[in-house]
Amino acid sequence: MKRILLLSVIIAMFAACNSGTNNSKKSDDKKSVAITAAGATFPLPFYNMIFKKYSSESGTLVTYGGIGSGGGIRSLKDRLVDFGATDAFLSESKMKDLPAEIVHIPTCLGAVVIAYNLPGYDGIKLTPDLLAGIFMGEITKWNDAKIQANNKDLIMPNKQITVVYRSDGSGTTNIFSDYMSKISTEWASEIGVGKSLNWKTGIGAKGNPGVAGTIQATEGSVGYVGSEYAFEQNIQTALLKNAAGNYIKPSIQSISASAQGELPANTCIMLTNSSAVDAYPISGFTWLILYKEQNYNNRSFTQAEATLKLLDWVVSNEAQSSASKVNYAPLPEKAVKQAKEILRSVTFNGEVILK
Amino acid sequence: MSSATIQYNTRSDYRKRKNRLFYWLVIAMSAITVSPILLIIYKLIIQGYKQINWSFFTKVAPNTLEAMTANAQGEVIPGGILNGITGTFLIVVMAAIIAIPVGIMIGLFLYENQGKRFASIVRDISDILQGVPSIVLGLIAYMWVVKPVTHGFSALAGSVALAIMMLPLIIRSTEETMKMIPTSLKEAGLALGVPYYKVILRVLIPTGFSGLSTGILLAISRIIGETAPLMLTTLGSSAVNWDLTKPTSAIPLLVWEFYNDPNMANLIWSSSLFLMGFVLVLNIISKRIAAKQNR
Amino acid sequence: MKSDKIFKYLLFSASFLVIIVAAGMVFTLSSGAIPAFKEFGLKFIISNQWNPTEGRESYGALPFIAGTVITSVIALLLCIPLAFSTSLFIAEYFYKKRVAMFLSTMVDLLAGIPSIVYGLWGFYVLRPFIVELGLSPQGYGIFTASLILAIMIIPYATSLSSEIISMVPNDLKEAAYAMGATRLEVIFNVILPNARSGIFASFILAFGRALGETMAVTMLIGNSNIVPTGLFQTGNTMASVIANQFGEADGLKLSSLIAIGLILFVITGLINAIGKLIIKKLA
Repeated sequence: MKRILLLSVIIAMFAACNSGTNNSKKSDDKKSVAITAAGATFPLPFYNMIFKKYSSESGTLVTYGGIGSGGGIRSLKDRLVDFGATDAFLSESKMKDLPAEIVHIPTCLGAVVIAYNLPGYDGIKLTPDLLAGIFMGEITKWNDAKIQANNKDLIMPNKQITVVYRSDGSGTTNIFSDYMSKISTEWASEIGVGKSLNWKTGIGAKGNPGVAGTIQATEGSVGYVGSEYAFEQNIQTALLKNAAGNYIKPSIQSISASAQGELPANTCIMLTNSSAVDAYPISGFTWLILYKEQNYNNRSFTQAEATLKLLDWVVSNEAQSSASKVNYAPLPEKAVKQAKEILRSVTFNGEVILK
Repeated sequence: MSSATIQYNTRSDYRKRKNRLFYWLVIAMSAITVSPILLIIYKLIIQGYKQINWSFFTKVAPNTLEAMTANAQGEVIPGGILNGITGTFLIVVMAAIIAIPVGIMIGLFLYENQGKRFASIVRDISDILQGVPSIVLGLIAYMWVVKPVTHGFSALAGSVALAIMMLPLIIRSTEETMKMIPTSLKEAGLALGVPYYKVILRVLIPTGFSGLSTGILLAISRIIGETAPLMLTTLGSSAVNWDLTKPTSAIPLLVWEFYNDPNMANLIWSSSLFLMGFVLVLNIISKRIAAKQNR
Repeated sequence: MKSDKIFKYLLFSASFLVIIVAAGMVFTLSSGAIPAFKEFGLKFIISNQWNPTEGRESYGALPFIAGTVITSVIALLLCIPLAFSTSLFIAEYFYKKRVAMFLSTMVDLLAGIPSIVYGLWGFYVLRPFIVELGLSPQGYGIFTASLILAIMIIPYATSLSSEIISMVPNDLKEAAYAMGATRLEVIFNVILPNARSGIFASFILAFGRALGETMAVTMLIGNSNIVPTGLFQTGNTMASVIANQFGEADGLKLSSLIAIGLILFVITGLINAIGKLIIKKLA
């Protein structure tokens, strides 16, 4: 018994050393800088993929923890990470909470799809008013006159509507509620915008898989799911009427289309209810945040430079082109240009770091 | 005479029937108790066995694209959970190093000071600690270790949070085990002039070893699957890390990532299977050692 | 002897350490919770509002307190007969036999399953089962959550209890048998009084575990911030709401969550104290 245990421990250590050396061979030559970041879970699969690529190619280990946007902001505030990630950009007042000025760098786009479970009824069309009615509990049956009138090519079934929402605080809820507040004054006054809301009806499930799983298990249910998750699953999604009057199916193209409009210099804008013709109306950026002045807390110039090099790479073509493979929409050119400009305004002791 | 009444000829018949009834009740209840575990193990094996292969133990976690392509082709997802295995090992061993000696010492203290006011307070506090949600302990470790000590997310912070979670279990089981040892044993040792600490170390602890190891095993099982405190303290890592002051991965953290990723759901089950296998091995080892001690 | 003194002092300092840790925790939690209490006062504890909308924020802890207490109590009630029977099986009826070793290992395995896996198993297996039984339309609710909690805390109650029961001195039992007692009578008149302290301790540990469980409960309880009025209604618990909202919370909301953590601390202490008093009265 003891011998088997000893043998297995030896094998385990051998295996561990083996994979360890593969990773560290490239970083042996220079004193390896390591970058730590924390924040939003929405872009987690995308970040994990590109950060891992960057780590193995550049020798700089990048660690990202998907602990939530709030955790990311908190960690940056406490200066424990090199940068944070957040789905909702910080407002003026929130930025005042931080010890120094920060900048936002957009990295990709995602969307919120309206998923439902009605076997045999694909492609249901929903207008903003219908959405508001359903999610506020005013429309309770699928064959309600209003839904039927909007879907003349389907005979809507007489089924109860069950609303499913996110029980955990999330950027997905934030984007969804931002859109809802824009298209419904009732929603804006009664429920408002936020990462978690005071829902009037429905059941809460944890995470995208929780909501998607509940919808798949409950006939007649409807809810909102992050596109990065929904596109990979076989769930029915509704077509939404955007501000231009067209019914749009959520896709990488329609998500990117929503970013075609004007962007403010600091890129802090909610893309929901975009007026672009082909835009999917519930889309949004996700950002990385870092301090504008990088010499704080005994940070070294090498560390700051390494951080900026990484972020510059994230908005570059190489990283962006892999986004759509994993169901995230890449940044449009305008946003990339602005992101690069912002990166070149980040200083160390007042001197710009990246040229 | 109604056929529904049970005739008891003697009082002892009644007692014997009650005895039999209770016997079968215990067996039935035990069967009910064990059924969820069998169901869960079954589900884990069915969903997870395909992902368990050599690379499961030797490669780090895959990224979502690799998983997606593998799923699309109906293949096994490449990669494994090596960064989680080594991380869990590092954090749990550190937590055990902190919690086991302290826990046993406190348990001994409570045993030696039965009925004293101070001991009651310590015991009550230990019981209360057991009820603190793991995420709150994560927050505490964030404030005490991540911020001031390691200036960043670290494995040490995770170990501290987990060690606090282990303490009540070890304390209580140590105290109760010691209480069950006949005092004659202790007194015999003391009467022979053996110094007190030797009596504890050479007589009482070996005798109560089975109970102590149960408490330790329970404590380790408790913390090995915890996610929430680690999210706030060790953050995670895509590579194998042995440095206590740096962020590390752990199997529950990987499970959380797999949960949130649309392509990696299959890995959840195999990772859990691994954790359970680990607990099983610990279990067998501790029972073997306890058996040896009892001879 | 000098070594004795050193040793006793060592034990004392270890115990003092635990008091410092607990005091430190209360301090850290309190300072984090102050903004919430300043804003809402003590009404926070009995308010059942939970409105996170900016500009209209109002938080109260009542729904979560109710959910936590109800689910943990039900879980403990479900667990006690099962754990007691199982520990008797392992430590008394089939002591040291293979079937008992098997059962004991199986029960210990229950303790090693990560709580998120319990949540997933509950979501994919238990929940549809409850729906099939017709007890609840979606399967979420207090009952489902209590059920999974009961399963989760069984190992804590069983492991320690069976160890304690097995350590009851044999001569006590044999004396009773010699007087013609049945096994049942030996159990209730000899073993139980002797092992009472340890068995009770194991239930306290199990209960504490139930109070603080997060992941599994959060996936099955339905997460509605209301005081539950029926067994199959949805609700929420303190640990669950903290886990759900913590990652994204800041400002007043974060403070409210920390306040809830503090309240959980206090309630755990209260329930433990009440439990010990009840046992003292029954003794």
